[in-house]
Amino acid sequence: MTDPTLAIQIEGLSKTYKTGFWLAPKVTQALKNLSLDVREKEAFGLLGLNGAGKTTTIKIMLGFLSPTSGAVKILNGRISDQNIRQQIGYLSELPYFSRQHTGRELLEYFGSLHNFSGKDLRYKVDEVLELVRMTKAANEKVSGYSKGMLQRIGIGQALIGNPKLLICDEPMSGLDPVGYKEMRDIFIDLKKRGTTLFLNTHIMDEVERVCDRIGILHGGELKKVALVSNILRSSVEVDYWVDVDPQDAPKFIGMPFQATVAEKGGFHIRGNELPETLATLNQKNIKTKGIRALSSVMEAYFLKTIGAQAMVPGRG
Amino acid sequence: MYRLFRVAQFTFRELIRSRMLYIWVISCVVFCALAFLLSILSFGEVHKIFMDLGLVGMEFSGLLVLILSLAVTYNTEFDQKAIYLQLCKPLTRGEYLLGRVLGFFLIISLVIISMGLVIGGLVVFIGGGKVGLLFVDSTIFLLLEMLVLTTLGLAFQMIGTSMVGVVLYSMFTIFLGHCIGQVEWLLSQKLSNTVKMILRVVHFFLPNLEAFNLKDRIYDPDLVLGWVQWREAFLYAFAYSFVVFLIGWINLEKRQFE
Repeated sequence: MTDPTLAIQIEGLSKTYKTGFWLAPKVTQALKNLSLDVREKEAFGLLGLNGAGKTTTIKIMLGFLSPTSGAVKILNGRISDQNIRQQIGYLSELPYFSRQHTGRELLEYFGSLHNFSGKDLRYKVDEVLELVRMTKAANEKVSGYSKGMLQRIGIGQALIGNPKLLICDEPMSGLDPVGYKEMRDIFIDLKKRGTTLFLNTHIMDEVERVCDRIGILHGGELKKVALVSNILRSSVEVDYWVDVDPQDAPKFIGMPFQATVAEKGGFHIRGNELPETLATLNQKNIKTKGIRALSSVMEAYFLKTIGAQAMVPGRG
Repeated sequence: MYRLFRVAQFTFRELIRSRMLYIWVISCVVFCALAFLLSILSFGEVHKIFMDLGLVGMEFSGLLVLILSLAVTYNTEFDQKAIYLQLCKPLTRGEYLLGRVLGFFLIISLVIISMGLVIGGLVVFIGGGKVGLLFVDSTIFLLLEMLVLTTLGLAFQMIGTSMVGVVLYSMFTIFLGHCIGQVEWLLSQKLSNTVKMILRVVHFFLPNLEAFNLKDRIYDPDLVLGWVQWREAFLYAFAYSFVVFLIGWINLEKRQFE
């Protein structure tokens, strides 16, 4: 089926890896019957733990792996078609570039693979360098770049062909907070320009701020697809940390968090237990010093979907 | 074509700027020093020593640069996954492979020709001899050998699953490719059918690198190097390289980047 409004159509995608010796082969199912659509101009986030099958999905989408079964359509065509590849950009996780080249030379090379030449190529490279804020360091060798700069050159090479669809595998990997913010701003800017974004990630903040819709992949299965706006409005329980005075620890006798209060001056509580607990503290004349959400709504939604609990210290 | 040349240019620039070329400089110096040393022991044949050792040094340097380039680029392209960012562009895998072959061949040619010029200079200015046409012919034959080995090495890169494997396959092929004469001699001996069958397979698939070996016959008075020999050498080099390139290309098309 062809739907011009869809940028990515994945139907019944499965991938099985066989490893080990032929006498005792080990079979790993990386993807199980994955079906997913991504609309044009949409920012879609594919969430999952390490090993959930996110990178395998991207590799199949880009033609680096053949699926065991199922099919993928990119911009209503096949990835083997050069015209389709002309319209997509891809950023791999921790992209590696030849250390012997400068940032500008690399972008010129990748631009030329998109058939830019002469003045057009130079103009395009300058434009992309400006967009990824690498103009100043453009003539320095890549070997002297920080991780953040490499990632920006990475996104630059992905954008050099004016892609309709940008596919990124863990784009925030290894970035410091400044690099992370810069990268996020680039994505928000691209979204405003109407580029379809497909992001593989496990960083919830990135998803909340950039994506319109998410899919949660766990153990190779697509567990859920939902609009980010709906998730943020949903009544997903968020865990909290309640700070109290450690000297009040004796007042907690008989309550499950006594030890944690004495040790850490506070306790961890589930969202649905919060009103009742606060009422109990009030009755016992215990004053709280502060209440902090331990996870974002998105994180809580993700953890709930995959059936895991938030990793918090000293769960009381 | 434009993309193909850009891949070749990128590969050439990547290799020429890498430190492995220092090794070529060192080997050039070592061979020249060795030639000087041996020329002291010779009696009026200094230019011959320079010529013989120079041609061996040119082949050795070319092979060294090829093997090191294969190892280094396997690491960057496949282990570090730099190839992903290129193959997702509107570049065919055939263009990518042919561009790599051209880039490799250019750098190896540069190594061999520049060393040839140094050797030629030594022969003329220090050895007091002449650089005969056969020296130029030997260099061209050496370049044909390098074309075959470059295509073969890069085809191994497309097939191999580890850097060590690619280097070992290449070295093994270089060694056996120079032993084709011995394989032919073995085939003429009384051996079991199984051994002969294995030898025939080896003989069929391996490149006959002795077909490009003029350096051992540079002072051979019986050497005939006419139009037929040139045609055969060129045809063999290009035909073998073409078939090997096709095998590498098919493998790259079908390769699973797990």
